[in-house]
Formats: sequence, structure tokens, C-alpha cells
Amino acid sequence: CKNFLDRVPPSSLKENLVANKKGINALLIGVYGALDGQDFTDGDMTNLSGGAGFAVSPDNWIYGSVCGGDAHKGSDHFDAPPILDLARYTAGATNSFLNDKWRVDYEGVTRCNTVLRLLPQVTDMTDEEKTEVEAETHFLRAHYYSDLKKMFNMVPWIDETTTDMKTPNNKDIWPNIEADFQFAWEKLPLTQSEVGRPNKWAAACYLAKTYMYEHKYPEAEALFDQILVSGVTSKGEHYQLRNRFEDNFDAATENTSECVFAIQFDANDNSGTSANANQGEMLNYPYNGPFSCCGFFQPTQDLVNSYITDAQGLPYLDDYNNHSITTETLDPRLDWTVGRQGIPYLDWGVHPGDAWIREASTAGHYSPKKNVYWQATQDKYYDPRGWAPGNAINYNLIRYADILLLAAECAAQLDNPDKAQALVDSVRGRAARPESEVYLYKDDSAPMGGFQDVPAANYNIARYPAGTFSTKGKDFALKAIYFERKLELAMEGHRFFDLVRWGIASETLNAYFAFEGNLTLDVQGADFTKGTNEYFAIPQRQIDLTTNGGTNTLQQNNGYH
Amino acid sequence: PCAIAIPASVLHPQEQQEEVLLKQLFRQTEVKFGVSIAYKSELVKDQKAKVDLAACKSPEEVLDKVLAPFNLSYQKVREHFYLIIAKEVTHTSASDAVQRPVHGKVTDAKGAALPGVTVRVKGTATGAVTAPDGTYTLNIPGTGNDVLEISFVGYETKSVTVGSQSEINITLTENTSTLNEVIVTGYTTQRKKDLTGAVTVIDIGEMVKQPSGQVTSQLQGQASGVTVIGSGQPGQEPVVRIRGVNTFDNNTPLYVVDGVPTQSINDLNPNDVASMQVLKDAGAASIYGSRASNGVIIITTKRGTGKVKVKYDAFYGRQYPKGGNAFHTLNSQEMANLRWLSYKNTGTPLSDTLYGNGATPRLPDYLQPVGLMEGDPRVNPDLYYVNPNYTDQNDYNSFYYITRANKTGTDWFHEIFKPANMTSHNLSVSGGSDRGNYLFSLNYYNQQGTLTNTYLKRYIIRSNSQFNLSKNIRVGENLSFSVTDNPVVDLLTASGAVGMAIREQPIIPVYDIKGNFGGSNGIGLGDAMNPVAMQYRTRNDRGQVNRVFGNIYADVDLLEHFTLHSSFGGEVNSGWRHNFTYPQYENKENAGVNSYTETTDFAHNWTWTNTLNYHNTFSKVHNLNVLVGTEAYDERTREQIGTTQDFFSFDPDYVDNGTGAGGQTIRSTRYSAGLLSLIARVDYSFNDKYLISGTLRRDGSSKFGANNRYGLFPAASAGWRISQEAFLKDVRWLTDLKIRGGWGIMGNQLSLTPGNAFTLYGGNKNTSYYDLQGTNNSVLLGFQQVQIGNPDAKWESDINTNIGVDATLFGGKLEVSADYFQKNIKDLLYNSELPGTYGTAPAPYSNVANMKNQGVDLTITSHTDITKDLKFDATVTLTTFKNRIVKIAKGVDYFDSQARNFSESIIRNAVGQPISSFYGYKITGFWNSQDEVDKADQEAQTKTNDPGATFQEAAAPGRFRYADLNHDGVINSDDRTFLGNPNPKVSYGINLGLTYKQFDFSMFLFGVHGNQIWNQVRWWTDFASSFDGAKSKTALYDSWLPDRTNAKAPIQEGEGSFSTNSVPNSYYVESGAYLRCKNVQLGYTFPQQFGNRIHIERLRIYVQAANLFTITKYSGIDPEIGGSDVRSFGIDEGTYPSQRQFLAGLNLTF
Repeated sequence: CKNFLDRVPPSSLKENLVANKKGINALLIGVYGALDGQDFTDGDMTNLSGGAGFAVSPDNWIYGSVCGGDAHKGSDHFDAPPILDLARYTAGATNSFLNDKWRVDYEGVTRCNTVLRLLPQVTDMTDEEKTEVEAETHFLRAHYYSDLKKMFNMVPWIDETTTDMKTPNNKDIWPNIEADFQFAWEKLPLTQSEVGRPNKWAAACYLAKTYMYEHKYPEAEALFDQILVSGVTSKGEHYQLRNRFEDNFDAATENTSECVFAIQFDANDNSGTSANANQGEMLNYPYNGPFSCCGFFQPTQDLVNSYITDAQGLPYLDDYNNHSITTETLDPRLDWTVGRQGIPYLDWGVHPGDAWIREASTAGHYSPKKNVYWQATQDKYYDPRGWAPGNAINYNLIRYADILLLAAECAAQLDNPDKAQALVDSVRGRAARPESEVYLYKDDSAPMGGFQDVPAANYNIARYPAGTFSTKGKDFALKAIYFERKLELAMEGHRFFDLVRWGIASETLNAYFAFEGNLTLDVQGADFTKGTNEYFAIPQRQIDLTTNGGTNTLQQNNGYH
Repeated sequence: PCAIAIPASVLHPQEQQEEVLLKQLFRQTEVKFGVSIAYKSELVKDQKAKVDLAACKSPEEVLDKVLAPFNLSYQKVREHFYLIIAKEVTHTSASDAVQRPVHGKVTDAKGAALPGVTVRVKGTATGAVTAPDGTYTLNIPGTGNDVLEISFVGYETKSVTVGSQSEINITLTENTSTLNEVIVTGYTTQRKKDLTGAVTVIDIGEMVKQPSGQVTSQLQGQASGVTVIGSGQPGQEPVVRIRGVNTFDNNTPLYVVDGVPTQSINDLNPNDVASMQVLKDAGAASIYGSRASNGVIIITTKRGTGKVKVKYDAFYGRQYPKGGNAFHTLNSQEMANLRWLSYKNTGTPLSDTLYGNGATPRLPDYLQPVGLMEGDPRVNPDLYYVNPNYTDQNDYNSFYYITRANKTGTDWFHEIFKPANMTSHNLSVSGGSDRGNYLFSLNYYNQQGTLTNTYLKRYIIRSNSQFNLSKNIRVGENLSFSVTDNPVVDLLTASGAVGMAIREQPIIPVYDIKGNFGGSNGIGLGDAMNPVAMQYRTRNDRGQVNRVFGNIYADVDLLEHFTLHSSFGGEVNSGWRHNFTYPQYENKENAGVNSYTETTDFAHNWTWTNTLNYHNTFSKVHNLNVLVGTEAYDERTREQIGTTQDFFSFDPDYVDNGTGAGGQTIRSTRYSAGLLSLIARVDYSFNDKYLISGTLRRDGSSKFGANNRYGLFPAASAGWRISQEAFLKDVRWLTDLKIRGGWGIMGNQLSLTPGNAFTLYGGNKNTSYYDLQGTNNSVLLGFQQVQIGNPDAKWESDINTNIGVDATLFGGKLEVSADYFQKNIKDLLYNSELPGTYGTAPAPYSNVANMKNQGVDLTITSHTDITKDLKFDATVTLTTFKNRIVKIAKGVDYFDSQARNFSESIIRNAVGQPISSFYGYKITGFWNSQDEVDKADQEAQTKTNDPGATFQEAAAPGRFRYADLNHDGVINSDDRTFLGNPNPKVSYGINLGLTYKQFDFSMFLFGVHGNQIWNQVRWWTDFASSFDGAKSKTALYDSWLPDRTNAKAPIQEGEGSFSTNSVPNSYYVESGAYLRCKNVQLGYTFPQQFGNRIHIERLRIYVQAANLFTITKYSGIDPEIGGSDVRSFGIDEGTYPSQRQFLAGLNLTF
């Protein structure tokens, strides 16, 4: 009768069945599977922690872009209130999105640690094969940790050897992250047969970016120099900006020369759900238009004004908000980044302005654009399986323009203004190409019928005149580089983390609140507290769950309680 | 062979030939044959006889032998139940008096003749026994003050002064004392008076009067200690809790139907129920060991007796949803006025795409194209294009909607809630003899929901039979087969059909100009969905659940004192359900996909029980009953869900998983678990006075790791029938008084998953597969951890103490049963959340939590004859419990859930609080002026020494002012407090019955008290700034304004805030107390004579009203708010209210 009670749990595998080559490879793919943080349960677009999918969107549209002043939360005032608290810097330790974000990043870490923990038990793999798995896993773990580090600053380091999961957050983990990327940089192959896997240059880029966060400029420069000369994508293509800016945001032209490391999204993949279809951005489509959801992530006036250019085609680095988009010239990247009235919205038609806005009084008049699919290819790249749209447009965690601008920043910090300017100009040069402008439709009533040769707005963009950076000095150079990152990488989830890295979050964001708060109600009266809001609160739930005998294991960040 | 007496005692063989008290012989007969023998003590007082019980093959044989020497005989009242009665008294030759004859007829309350009744002249030996037709004749002494005393076992004794009458017809009332009632308890039967555990016996007759398809729904208010919370949705299994909440997960009691344990009696035919007992404490329930913690409900189904009987019971009724303005919704013009009010309050210009410009809003003629008036060329119907069955996004993108505004306002509640019919037909054929018995029944039940396209349609057949193969071998079966179709809607969620009926704006018409659905797909119309469309799209969805439930059994009487019982039973469930998802077009947020989903499942479980029972009586006073047994339980389920997308046609006859052109997904789940158990039970009584009972069960469960696989569950209980003591014998009004007490341990392992002990891995296309190759349309297999294992989980123990008293007064006119209980649940198994550093794989169940429940159960029953024809019965049940969470896990003091539309959670389950407590900011009033705000800020600045401090974020005139509960000078998350909880302090049921001649009237009232409801509906309707949906009269007419500070709702604004509706606060907490008239019934039973004429044994007709009225202060549509998750219930966000039901029915017996 004893056997009667010995039952093997159905539909799952015990450890002994996965500690082999096939199992390890599947577990490694599972680590990639956590990159988007998404799940789909009971017909709802959820995240791995059980909350809303968008709470942990891997492009950090909430934490990087909304919190950084690129965009409003959008929609109705009352839609997804935790985002509003984040945007206004009133989000405390009990904000549910922060807890989801924490848990989902640590799920990624846990998956990495599972691979590394089981790997020594595997007997049917060669040492080379094991090293390759280790290198990819270290790369991915460092990715998850760098996200945690940027969000929460002091976080516990848990690796495959950790037994006490209530580890204190009393150490700076940048060195650990560095070590993981270093390992990956040393051990990863030059190219990969599967494009979604990082190669050694991806590790180099991520490592260099890590150095930049640590302000280790000489180490960063050494790497950037190698990357600029020899860096190739996982497919072996030399890193190079695409001629057309929009190519970075179209599923048809992804994983090309500008892609350093991307999350591979897909549509209609037979999962029956939209979980793998950039679900974290499911809310970020114009409202009342041809999309089923939901009017979130509306670019700010402050961002839009940043694209105004002077007669030389250069940005107004300081007083851009004193200029008008209707009377002055514009950087064409504006119209690939922001949906605004009167401009063709990809091939969906001319953006009608407030008719596609849910509540202009709350969140202004603009729509997001970089994450939106084209009508002509919607059968391929649009996924209708959730209650809000999914799409197959990859999110580039690092694209080459990001690296060029980081390298520029590094050069400027190391007092090499000409090199810095050349790098900035290469980015501006691409934006200035005619392919990177938006053109009017041939026929507004048939937007899929193609474009005329007439630009949709009065574009004027140029490289900085030779010697500008060296003439105007380091401060100017840095300001110009910072501004260039804003323009180039807007709405891609980087802005807030950049501001913190540069140490200018407080003044920049309070100036933004002062300006934007006069225009929309959502950020009216919002305030950024210097010394506190540079990092988000450690989730109270995590502090509570890790107490030991009444003492907290996790210490809260400064200024939160 | 039966003539030689061998008394029961084997301890004293020398007493073999001795006579034994009749009482004892009856008791031995009862035990040996599993029957009940009732008698009046006076009849058998001190009389002795000798009979060899072992040689007797039937109780009848024993009784024949035993009673022969006396003036006694017996009557078989029903199967297993015998009455000892006096034989016809021989006439005394009272020749000295002037005798005269008196005759008459004795009948029961319903007019049926009573044979065998003793009619005696008081104080003499003169008497007679009534004939089979109930008539009697006797000669009275004729002294002038003769009194007839009419007595009959089971009935109240009656005295009648003869006077000058010569014909005296007598109606006897049943003696309602239930002391000798034999009831089924854990693996045995006991007389009610012998019980030492807390057991509630349910009055089935009263219970089944409630017109519902579920026995569990009918149970509401009928049993003390049992809390039932349901809804108006047909077929929805209500939440049943016995003595409160015992664990954080599954709190479903164990049901044992004819000896077979099961988790659901949802498709048990209420007409088939013969008896129902609730085992509440460890003394009674602990014998069910690991499945006892949530309480046990024991049910037996009906058996046949006597001659062939055909019964037909039927009713037909009409159900009416609540009338009036269900959610106090504004009409279309008022909605516009409210928007203008909020614009004014916010300082927004009075201009709106929908409502135009100017001092007063104007209603447009058209919603789509937005804001247009009649005559505009853009509303030319020729432009209209909507294809509701679109399959192409480009087609959808080309729609041209034209929708007229509904200026009077759509009553969305009554667009989906309509009067509906219900009917039930039950036919049974039964009979029995000493060779066996049988019952066959057929039930058809059809309750249409008042919410369109919800219903319960069910067929059940039952066959119960027993064959007495010989005097000591009986075999039989109980079998029920049911077929059910029961589509339901999601309740208590804003995204369900009812939630949408609350939210959809009244200006939206149900249909657009061409009869396609209207909806929020315009501007300023919110984002709710058309609930009529939602329900309409389910019209072709069908499902069927087939369930076979039952057992086969054998009883063998062995040797002298042993009975071997074996039962093999269980259930087989199989079912399918299909639904089609139509593309939406009328709403703001439309899902464009069309898909078909079919679910099939198959589940079975079996239980094999073997018990050996030993019963004996020693030295006439020691009564011992011992039972040992084994039980094995096996449960397996499998389910498959397939979905296919993109159909050429949506014709229901075409669509299935084989005909879609698009993606297909298929998913399976499996489950397997087993239990192995050893059972022991000892019941001992001394002189019918001192009762002791002990039970012990050892359970082994497949859900635990090898280390802690087996658990022991002991219990002990004792009773003292004080009324049997000499000092109380003479207290005549005290028929019986018993004090009971018990202690024991019960267990629980329901929630554990089969894989709990193991760390497991698996793949999931949503979460671990990945498009590593960048294909844009496919994923590669990837694995993740799917379970964190805990090999050390062990049994939780529900340590239960119970003290009770049972009193029977005035010969059964009043019965009181009261219990006080305490449950300490230790090592409670809970999958408490792990720190995020473990990852998100499901946490295993561990023995981490503690919980405590205490309370009182009370049942009072009374039977009164007000006049000869007018009788009154009343039963009151009362249930109270107080639940406290004692511990959640080491270092974890709370867990939250249900943020709904807030940025913080509504519910906090915290140590020291009842489960599912509401948590948030406490409102002390409104900020009535900016001065008040400024003053509070200044105080905050002084108190905190921070010149930038504000007292309360977003404080402004007209908004809520929160209480600074920790007195730190500012409002922050530390000022949140517990605002209430949904656990009723008291729930009660009142059954009232009146009979007058052929008429019977009954009324059942049910109520709860001391609970709160979180009325989340008010979040949607009372704040203009909450989503742009329908709003309430409160928002417009009772919201704060500078000249209306004594308001209910805060100032209506464009934006919500911390100080209004973005955090949970006490605005939503309301008392959930209510008293509901669940049932009123008026019946008429045709007189016997009428029945005889048309060859009918009994015919009764009745009319009935259910849910006639509800007395409550709760402002929502129905205060009966449940929620299946015990950790988060009591939140009302759109429920399916109970409907008024008016029925007419008949009960017919041939």
C-alpha cells in the first residue's frame, strides 16, 4: 500500500530530468523568457509577479520615460494610479508596481542561478558548451541586476551559491555586475547562430555602460575604443547606425547593424496569448483611434519642445521651452518619436490631435509612436490576442546609437571634445539623412498608399559646426551630449536613469514639473526630492518578508519610510 | 429455537437463564439489528424476559418472543423503527357501576387514522386500543366525572372529560421530542440523546422549502454553526463555512453522502435528501481526520419502505429582479449636469465634445459621430457601415458608426435583468419489505436566471436499493446520475456583466441606428462595455456536466455482536463546455479576435471503506460500541482546453476546434492524490447517564513528503445526562438535560498541490518560451521552476474544544441546544509569500500560520398547540464566530490583496485581525475651507519641524479629511487602520410554522449582523473623477459644495486624488447587516376523504414567495456579498442580486 501514496506530480519535471544538456539549454532559454517579465493568466495580460503586465515592462517606459519627463502616464487620471504616484514622485514603499518590478527582476536572477546551480551536475556537455552556457547566463544575470541597481540602488546580491535568501542589501553590487559582464565579455563567442543570444561585443557594450554608471571613464574608454573599431552584432555585422531612424522601431528591420542586444518579441506565436508580443506596452496606443487600447504614455510638451531647432539646425539646449514648434524648425526625430496632430502617424492616417487623446487635461495632446506597428504589416506583427494590442517590435536594450552617445560622454569626461563631438555628430548625421524624415501621404484618405516627397514638417537638423565642443568647453559638450541622448533615445526608457547618473535629476525634473504642470493636471504640483527620489523605494513588502526575528534584513533607501 | 434465553452478558455465563429487563433487551435488539425501538417507560417498567437474541433472525422475531408474555405488541412505524404499544386491554367487569359505551376515532394532526392507540379511563384498568381505522369503543364507568386518557407512543398524551358525550373524536399531536431519533454520524449511527459531540440535525422538511437547485443554498440559516453566503445566480454554489474560517485557502466542508466523502453536493437532488447532520466539533468530526477541519456534513438519501408509493412534487414560479433605479443612476441630462458641475469645481472651461459649450450642457442627438444634431449630413444612414461579424482589422478600421443618444437614459440593469421562470418536477417510486427496499427518483429542475443567458438546467435520476440476502447479510447501492448545464457570469468584479451594467453610461443606447450594438466607442462615453452585448454573445455557449455519484455496500452480521460493513463508492464527473468569443466593435476598447474554446474534463474519485463494529452491553448498565476500520481514497482529474481562432463563419453549427483557420492552442491539466486511513472509535455509556466517546484516525496523504506522510487525529468527548440523576427525576418539565464536552484535533490538507514536496521544472509558452531566433512569430521551448518544493510540510492541527448543553423541556415542546467552541489551528498550512529573492515560482505550503476561532452556536425549537386546530412551531438558529489570525509566517505579519482601482490594497490579512479585514484611511469629515487646510499644514510644520510639511497630500476644500491616527502630525501610510471585516458576528435563521386544520403556513427569515461590506460600486458611481462611467444621484445631489457641506460624497472634480478616491478609505465601508424573508409558504392539504375518493393518499397544494423582502441599511443592490476567496471577500463590485420568486406547487402521493 505504500506505493499508493507515492505519486509523481504530473506535467512537470523533477531536477534529475533537467540536469542534462537538453534540460540546461531549455532552462537557459527560460532565462531569456523572463526578459519581458510577462505572463498571461485568465485572459488577462499579467506579469510574472501576478500584477499588470505593464508594471514591469522591460523597456522601463514607466520608470525611465514617464518618471524621466519624456511622457505622461496618459489615459484617464484614474487609470493605473500607481503610475501616477511614480510620475509625481509620491510613490512610497507600498507602491505595488515597485514590488512587481523587484520580484520580476529577481525571477530573472533566480532563473540564472538555477542554470548555474544545475550546470555542475550535467555530465553530457563538454567544457566549452558549459562555458558558453555560463557566459550567457552571467550576461543575463548582470542585465537583471543592472536593472535592479538602477531602480533601487542598494539591492541584495543573490547568486547560485546563496542559501539564505534573506541577504542584506548593504553592499554596492556594481562590482558584481561588472564581474558578470566581464566573464561574458571574455567567454562569449564572436557571433551566435541564434540572433537573440548576446555575443562578446554585446557584453562589451553592457560592460562599458556599467563603467559609465560607475563613472569609471578610463575603463569605459578602453572598451568603447575596441567596440567602435571591431564591434559586431551577434550575426557578425559591424555595428553601424541604420540610415533610417525608424528602422529601429519596426519589426521588419530589427536585429540589424544597430542592434547590440534586444528583447525578441513576436506576434501570433501559437501561445494563444499576447504574452510574448511586447505586452508591457499594451496600453501605449492612441485612444479612440484604430487601436483597441488605451491612450497611455503620452509624450510631454517638454519633450516635444526639445526637438525645436534653431536656424543652424541645432537644438536649444537651455530655453527650448521658450520656443514654439509651430513657428520654428524641427528635428525630424520628433515625428518618429511623437504622434502629433497633422503629421502622418506611420501608415494609420494623419494624427487627428485630441480626437485620439483620452483626457488632454490630464496628459496633453500627443501619442507615443516608437512602439507602434505599421498598418501595412499588421497581419504579421500585430497580435490581437490580449484585450490590448500586442506587437512583434523588438525592444533594443542597447542600440548602437546609445553606445555612440555613451562613448561621446566618456570622451567628453576625459577631456577629448573633438572625439566626443564626432560621435555626437554621427548620431545627428543619421537623423539628418532624408530617410529619417517623415513625409506627407500621397493621399490622406489612403494612408497605406505611400508618401510624397514633401516633408511633413519644417525639418532642419545639422551636425555641430566643427570645433564647437572644444571651443565651448567640457560643460557645454556634456550638456549637448545629454541633450542628444534625450532626443535620440526619448521614449525608450533611459531618461530617468541618465538624469540620475548625471546627477541632475532634481533640477531637471523640478524644472520639468514647473513647466509641464502648468499645462496638464497629472504633474501639477509634483515635486522631486533631491537625495531621495534618485532611487525608488525598496518595496515595503520585501522588507517585511525578509525580517529576521523582528530585525529588518533590507534597509530602506534614504528618505522613504 | 429462539425460545431458550441466553442473555447478552458473556462475562457472567451463570446468568444465562436469568431474565433481563425489557429495556435492555430492546437496546440489545436495537444494536444487533441496527434498528430503533421506542417505548413508553411505564409500559415496560421493571418487566423482565428472557430471549436468546443470537438465535433470532430479525427484530420482529425478538419482539414477538419478548412481548408475548405481556400485554404488549409492537408496530413497525417505518424501516428500522419500531414502537412498543399496549395490547387491547381486556374489559374489566365493572358490574357495580352504570356502564355506558363511548366510541370515537383517533386521528393525527393531518386527519389520518391512528391505529393501536391506547384509550383508557383515567384511574381505572378500563381501556381499549384503536382499530386499524382508528376507531375505538369502550364502556365507561359512568361516574359522571370520567376522564379519557389517550396515549400513543410518539404522540402527546391527551386527557378528555367525557361528560355526557357518547362520541369522542380525538386528534393526537406528535410528541416532537427527538431524543430517540437515530442519526447518522461518523461511520456509525447514534441516538440523539447519546451524542457527545456537537452535531446539528437539520430539519429537511423546512430546508427543502427554499426554491433552489442546491442543497447548500437551502442550508442557509437552517443549521447553527453553519454560515452560507450565496447570490441570486442559478446554480452557483454558495460559500459554506462551518464555524468560521479555518485556513487561508479552501474552507469547503467535507460532505459525506451515504458514507461516501465528496467536496461538492452541488448536483444532489434536494428531494432525495432523507437526513442531514452537521458535525461541528472534533468530538463528532475528528474521525474524518485530515478532512475534518472545515467541518463535516453527513447526508443520507431516501430509502423505500412499506407498500409501493408514488410521489410527485412540483412547482412552477416566476422570478422578478429588483425594480426601480437599482444603482441610483443619474439620467442622461443629469449625467451632463454632473460633468458641468465637476468642470465648474475644477475650473475647467464649460466645453465638451459631447455636451457642447455654454452655461448648461445640451444633450446631442447623436453620440456617433460625436455631438451631432438631427439633420447633419454626417448622420445620413447611407454612410453607416458596421459589420458586427468582421474578421479583418482593415474592415473594422473602415466602420462608420451612427448612434443616437438615449436622452432619457438606458436602464442597463433592467436591460440585462428580466423576469424569468423556474420550475421543478420530482417523481419518486419507492417501497420495501423485509426482503429489501428500493427508491427510484427523477428530477427535472430548470431555473432561468433573471440575468439573461444564465440558467441552471438539470436532470437527476437516483436509484437506491437494498437486498436482504439473508437475516444477516444485506447488500445495496445508492446511485445518482445528473446532467447539468449551468452558464454563469463573473460576479463582484467591475469587468463582469453586472459591473458593466453599473458602469455603462445611460446616454448610450443598447442598439445603434441599424440595430447593431451601441457602446462606449465614442467620445466622453467612458470605457465600459455594453452588458447586453456581452450576454448576447454567450447565447450559443453550451456545456454539460455529467456526474455519477454513489456506492455499493454490504453489511454482514457476524457472531453475536459484530457487524462488518464494506462500502465502495465515489464519483465520475465528465463534462464539456464550449464558448465562442465574438469580435467586439461597439466598445471603447474592443478585442478584435474571434475564437472558439472547448473544455473537456474528466474526474473521478473512489473511496473504499471497511469497518467492523462491535456492540455489547455488560452487567445491564455498561454499553460499549467499538468500531475499527480502514479507508482508501483516490482522486484523479484531467482537463483539456483547446482554442482555435479566425473563423470563416460564426455560425454556431460551423464553429469548432476543427474549423478555425487561425492559431490553435491546447492545454492540459492533471491531478492525482490519495489518502490511506485507519479509523477507530469507542462509545461507552454507563446506565444511559454517563457517555464517553473516543475517536482516532491515522491518515496518510500522497501530498506530503515521505518524512511527514502520516498524521494522527485523536478526539475525546463525554456527556452527562443530568436529567437521569435521581435529584432531577422529579423535575417533570425537564424531559432531558445533557452536558457535553469534547476535545480533539482535526486536520486539513485540501489546498496542498500534489507536487508540494518537490522542486519542479516545466515550460510555459507565455513565461519561459522565447523567440531566440528572432522569427517574430514563433517561440522555442524554455523551462523555468514551476514549484518550489517543501519536503518537510507536515499536518496542520485544528485543536478544537467544545462545551455544549442539550435540553428538552415539557416533553419536547421546547428543545435547546447550545455550544461554545474554540478552535486553535496550529501549524496551519499556507503558501505564504516568499521574499522576492526566491523568484516567482509558486511557494510551497509550509506549516507557518496560526488561526483562532471561537463562538457560540444555538438552536431553539418549540412546538405549541395554541388551540386544538392551531399549532405553532418555531426554530431559531444562531451562529456566532470570531476569527483571529494569530500568525502568518515567521517575520510576516500581514498580506494584502485587492487593490482594485486604488494604489493601495483594500484588504489586509493581519495578525490579530479577522481574515479579510478592510484596511485604509479613516475619514473624519470634509475639509470645509482652505483655512482649515492651511491651519492643518501649519500644525504639521510645527509638529514635524519641517517648514515644507503638509498635513495631508492633496487636501483641499470638499475633499476628505483623514484621521491622524498615529498623531505624528501628518497623514501617511502609517495612518491606515482596520475599517471593518466581512465576517458576520452573528447569523441567524428563524423558521416559523403554523397549521390550522388543513392549512399550513410557514415563514423563514434569515439575517446576519455585525459584518461590513466594502461597497466598491460607490467608487465607480459616486466620484465624477473615477472612470468616465455612469454616476449616482449621490454624486450630483449629495456631494460637497461650499453651500452644501453636510454632504455624503466629496466635491465632484475632474481629477481624483489621495484625498478623494485614489486610496482605500472608510467611504466605502458599510454595515452588511440584513434580515431577509427568505421564504413564505401557504399550503392546503386536501382532507383524507377527498383523497380516498380519487385514490390519492395525500394531496397538498401551496403557494410560496421567496426573498419577499430584505431589511437592510446597506445602500448596494444586495447585502449578501460573498466571494470565494476567503482571504479577500466582502467586496461588492456588482453582484447578482437575489430575486423575488413567486411559486405555486403541489405534493402528491399515491
